[in-house]
Amino acid sequence: MAYAATRGGEAAIGEAERLFREDLPSLTAERVAMVRRTLPYLVDRAMGEASLYEPDLAALAIAQAGGDLYEAVLLLRAYRTTQPRLWTAEAVRHSDIFTVRRISAAFKDIPGGQILGPTLDYSHRLLKVGVLSGETEAADPVTPRPVPAPPTQPALVDWQREHGLVADTRAESVPLDEIPDVTRDGLLFPAPRAHRLQTLARGDTGGMLALGYANMRGYGPTHPTVNDLRLGEAEVRLRHPRGTVFSAGRVRVSEAEMVSKAASGGTLELGFCATFGWNEVKTIAGATLDLSMHFESDYPAASEEFVLYHTEPTEASGFCIHFKMPHYVTFQSSLDALRGANTDRPAKGRAGDAAPDPAKAVEEIVS
Amino acid sequence: MKGEDRAATTSERAVAGRNLSEPRKLDILARAEPDGLKSLAESLLDDLGAVDVLSSRTGLAMVPREDSVTGTLFHLGEVLIAEAHIRVAGGVEGYGAIVGRDLERAMAMAVIDAAIAADRAPETVFAFLAAEAERQAADDATRLAKVEATRVEMEAF
Repeated sequence: MAYAATRGGEAAIGEAERLFREDLPSLTAERVAMVRRTLPYLVDRAMGEASLYEPDLAALAIAQAGGDLYEAVLLLRAYRTTQPRLWTAEAVRHSDIFTVRRISAAFKDIPGGQILGPTLDYSHRLLKVGVLSGETEAADPVTPRPVPAPPTQPALVDWQREHGLVADTRAESVPLDEIPDVTRDGLLFPAPRAHRLQTLARGDTGGMLALGYANMRGYGPTHPTVNDLRLGEAEVRLRHPRGTVFSAGRVRVSEAEMVSKAASGGTLELGFCATFGWNEVKTIAGATLDLSMHFESDYPAASEEFVLYHTEPTEASGFCIHFKMPHYVTFQSSLDALRGANTDRPAKGRAGDAAPDPAKAVEEIVS
Repeated sequence: MKGEDRAATTSERAVAGRNLSEPRKLDILARAEPDGLKSLAESLLDDLGAVDVLSSRTGLAMVPREDSVTGTLFHLGEVLIAEAHIRVAGGVEGYGAIVGRDLERAMAMAVIDAAIAADRAPETVFAFLAAEAERQAADDATRLAKVEATRVEMEAF
């Protein structure tokens, strides 16, 4: 591709940005704090797709971009490059998660029980229009139980393994510093499972939903159901210079296992996805994609290469919007080809060999 | 009498705080209420003397996650961390690292850690640790009591 440089437009570019910002209130710490406090699920989505956990910065990015999520993710990804990676934390395991929601749609009696946690799953979806007339909608307080829920929940998949429902195959142990890292290695196919899961963790919620939904509707090899879905918080455990491992704080995480209704080889097949923040749609879609990618299939939405290449939010949105940039040279070339084809066509027609063939004209244009 | 009760409570808390393991002390400091943490650290500075700041910065911690299905370790993403590393009299080092960007919190944690490591932490430090441990446990218990209220038997649906 070739691009034309933009010249002489500095004043217009400056005014264009001012026109964009003129429609927004001033960017203040208070406004950022309001975004963080009132839109936690949006902040979570931005952090997950940016692959950078810092709620204040995510709220700032959302406010600065006027709510344009792809722009916000780009800001966070760019900020991330200014920071050194100083640590690899201790690994987070399923059983470590401080769990506030944990359900299974496939098994009703699961070890630890089913806990709805914070959710609108069973709520009426009615717009509270009275608020626009001055009413205040305040949530009724939760009535706590005398005995708290346990802070962590057992893994359903461990119970399934014990009962022979899931194959007992475990990945080889890898030193933490040698875990494949897609931000440094680049994505090659077939991808190591670590690359696949990392790419899904930082994937675009909307893109993953579209492709996951395609699988769920039949454009894929599986018939997925939620095996284990949970929201919670993970401790970020670092090593003190004296060698002591301690928690520097918690981060919100979500994770899902999807199970195929069709057993394969006598055992159930499971897919997995986890991400920063509480984002169930993303993890359910992501685990469905992971599950579908286990199988040989001709469906594009179950192809690892197709899925992982097309659900990267910054690359996908960047490529999409780059078409707004001046393409005059490449388009002029196409126009020249089109005009040439049109000029040639009457001459060929006069030769009387054949009627003009539009498909051939297109071939000539693109060749 | 009330004053004696309070003194006894502080003293008991200090004993409880002193008996906490080192990882627990660090966990509690990293999660401590910021204003109280900073005030406590400031109260220690005069006694600690000159403080060399070895590092005071933000950086990223990559968080590895284990896939529950196959046990594969993968990178979940990076968390921004505020870090402080100091050295006080006698060459004793203190260290703080906290999820987020608050360098003052990380520095306050490092100062308190240095005071404990140098064996120069007054009773107030250990009482603070015990009180924070209680507060943090109570916060979790309150939250989990609300979570428990959402437990369902799926036969009911």
